[in-house]
Amino acid sequence: MNKKLNYSVPDGYFENLKTRLSQIPAQESRPSRITRLTPYLALAACFAFVVLVGNAVLNRTAVPAASDEEIIEYLIDSDITLAQVVDYLTLNE
Amino acid sequence: MNELNFQEIVQKYSEPLYWHVRNVVGSHEDADDVLQEVFIKVWKALPGFRGGSSVSTWLWRIATNEAVSFLRKKKVRAALGFLPLDASAERVAGADPWFDGDAAQRRLANAVNALPSKQKAVFCMRYFEELPYEEIASVTGTSVGALKASYHQAAEKVKVSIEEEK
Repeated sequence: MNKKLNYSVPDGYFENLKTRLSQIPAQESRPSRITRLTPYLALAACFAFVVLVGNAVLNRTAVPAASDEEIIEYLIDSDITLAQVVDYLTLNE
Repeated sequence: MNELNFQEIVQKYSEPLYWHVRNVVGSHEDADDVLQEVFIKVWKALPGFRGGSSVSTWLWRIATNEAVSFLRKKKVRAALGFLPLDASAERVAGADPWFDGDAAQRRLANAVNALPSKQKAVFCMRYFEELPYEEIASVTGTSVGALKASYHQAAEKVKVSIEEEK
């Protein structure tokens, strides 16, 4: 083709080239690894988002558990008798 | 249907397109890389090809654009120091293991490689591939008059360059 410059190619190059180029449609229509993983990555991202947001909301809104002292104080201040407490506990056993 | 046409294009045009790209980019390795990109673009653009021009003109247009763009990027990379000097766009033919020419052909190859990218593509299509100006005009989207001027300017530069290297 190019007699004026005498460029050459490796032996068997054009046969190899045709084989390689004819594989382009298969390579181009095959989804890449990222494309195939996208739905799973999206699902994982949603899950992580829900966990993080849920955790943040719980941390902000949760009321700290009452201490033993506070419970005793409450029972003293209220009119609940010890018998009533025992009855309640036995009822839930 | 497209895949079938694509395979026909590969069988019929891969070799002539290789030589077209090789003339423009110079080295075998670069021509091989550019040709792979050319055929990927051909595959992607094939469904939209409506036959406004002949298949060969369409293919030469894609290959020329890709080769010119490759040379421009390579020049920029070399200018920024990302590529060693011997791998720059003005790579000497003597450094290419797939060049079998004599001293005169080496001087010609070096002179052609020193042309600006688009002018080089025009010069190669006219001088090496002997395409008519009308076809080169369809490939490049330039008028025949402008092409003739560009070719003669390139031929003068090549002559001067060869004389200087002697």
